[in-house]
Amino acid sequence: MSVPAADILATAVPVPAASAGEPGARRRGVLRSAEIVIPGTVLLLLLFFCFIWPLFGMVPKPVGGLLQTTDLPLFSSGHIFGTDIVGNDIMSRILYGGRVSFVVAAAVQVIGLTIGGLLGLVAAYAGGWLEAVLMRVLDVFIAFPSLVLVLAIADGLGPSEIHVIWALSAFSIPAFAQVSRAAALSLRDRPFVVAARLSGTRTWRIMFTHLVPNMLPQLLTFSLLGASITIIIEGALDFLGYGIPPPGASWGNMIASGQSYISVYPMLVVVPSLFLLLTTICLNLLGDGLRSRWGVR
Amino acid sequence: MNTSVSVQPARRPGGARARRLAGSPALRVSGRRLLAAIPVLWGVTLLSFLVLNALPGDAASALLGINATPAELKAFRIKLHLNEPLWTRYGNWLGGVVHGDLGTSIASPQSVASILGQRLPVTLELVIFALVITLVVSIPLAVLCARRPRGIIDRFNMVLSMGSISIAPYVLAFFLVIVFAVDLPVFPAIYSAPTSIISNVYQFALPSIILALPLIGFYTRFLRADLLEQMQSEDYVVTARAKGVSEWRILTRHALRNSFIGLLTIIGLNIATLIGATVIVEQIFSLPGIGQELLQSISNRNVTVVEGIVLVFGVAVVLANLLTDLAYGVLDPRIRHVRSRS
Repeated sequence: MSVPAADILATAVPVPAASAGEPGARRRGVLRSAEIVIPGTVLLLLLFFCFIWPLFGMVPKPVGGLLQTTDLPLFSSGHIFGTDIVGNDIMSRILYGGRVSFVVAAAVQVIGLTIGGLLGLVAAYAGGWLEAVLMRVLDVFIAFPSLVLVLAIADGLGPSEIHVIWALSAFSIPAFAQVSRAAALSLRDRPFVVAARLSGTRTWRIMFTHLVPNMLPQLLTFSLLGASITIIIEGALDFLGYGIPPPGASWGNMIASGQSYISVYPMLVVVPSLFLLLTTICLNLLGDGLRSRWGVR
Repeated sequence: MNTSVSVQPARRPGGARARRLAGSPALRVSGRRLLAAIPVLWGVTLLSFLVLNALPGDAASALLGINATPAELKAFRIKLHLNEPLWTRYGNWLGGVVHGDLGTSIASPQSVASILGQRLPVTLELVIFALVITLVVSIPLAVLCARRPRGIIDRFNMVLSMGSISIAPYVLAFFLVIVFAVDLPVFPAIYSAPTSIISNVYQFALPSIILALPLIGFYTRFLRADLLEQMQSEDYVVTARAKGVSEWRILTRHALRNSFIGLLTIIGLNIATLIGATVIVEQIFSLPGIGQELLQSISNRNVTVVEGIVLVFGVAVVLANLLTDLAYGVLDPRIRHVRSRS
């Protein structure tokens, strides 16, 4: 059995996956940081353009376009991506729609991480009947097609951003609970936790200062992948008519409403699709990169 | 562990076979799992019943529209027993289900069972096609990738799988429809009832490819990683190498068989997600499957139909997990032996 200190280090310190003697190990080190830096930078740029750039007032309003400027092609003056069928600037709708996508994705992850993460942690650490009850309830949620719940919530509450967030959290809470339970279970009987317990540390202190920091890499990389799924599902809700209501912009409803004009004006669908794809790819790449950097399985 | 779910051994000559069957670990595992599934399925129906009833509006107001008078609404509710308390309605429904009766739809005089009977084959076909495409593509692809890690196929696959995991199904549907249904009219973009087996395959080609692609990316990545790990660290691989078995044979005969166990787990866990994704794909291609019915029934507050669908989804997930469990035993003798001893 290894010493506790080594165990703590094993999860906290990045695990060098390539053995030192392997040819190209150095280059792979550079590649590995590129795996994180490139998608991270793209995401930061996207966030900057969506949230901060419009504040400078250089972006036209996403609604209330003029009839004279409908259906402008790409790269027309003042409208880089052209305008849509009611004369709104597509660039600006992309940026404001991106705000919705990012806010929804982040909120759903935060809700899932706090509620689901806590449930999983408590279930794993407490054990006994509490774990049994929590896990049976989770089983119900897992055997339950989450989309039914999401659609029911979205339909009942009516289309709006905050309702989409609540509906999608029905997905993320059970998923986070499962991941966090698995992570906590693998840590629960590790020597450093046992040592803390034997030395009389309080349960909540063990959970939050010993377990949580060691679970974070797993939960954070999971939430990046979750964010990409959330963005996709948010678009799907738009498709089914339960998403962000039309005058407001979101990538999903731009794609959904643009589909009626695909034969005459494909850019209405192509531009938001590309932004959606770029965002989800970067989230997935960043998740993967961090996962291999932190040695999360 | 003693679970007496299995069939009692027959007390007559020639009952040895029956006795062996009854004692078989597979049957015992199935029985145990099915028993454990009952509370889960019950929870699923209860949850969906509560959620649907917590929503504003009910079937009466959804079906009769905003112009209905209060008297009409009241009559409709009494006719369909919607005026009874929540628990009475749930109890009645549950009582019916236990006796094999799923009830009748609120929106039409059809029984829920016959609606499911019409809709289920479409969704089932979609799911099966998607799974078959996924496995046929991803298993050979993963083996080829694992043969030469960081070789040309592997690199190509990394890009491909990252793309296929990241792309939204509706975006993919849009591009595939443009290419294969509009520009090159190979496949139909909109469903029409198939007349022969071949036209049936055509109808389902695009929707099942769309369902399969993200799974292909996911499974290939998983299987490749698992194969590589087996090849690097497992003792049986060392033994096989020492015997002089070729690398290719170790990969396809030894490592692959072991990796199937992990793959099965992932498939079992993914079934619920796959079924959920059919709802969106059915909507895009206007396939008359369960998903369409579900969307309609949720907005009509057609509780009995939603409950029926949720129950079917739940049973499908439970059965998929059971099959996964049984397949473990087939693939891994260690699991089989532990079970027969327990």
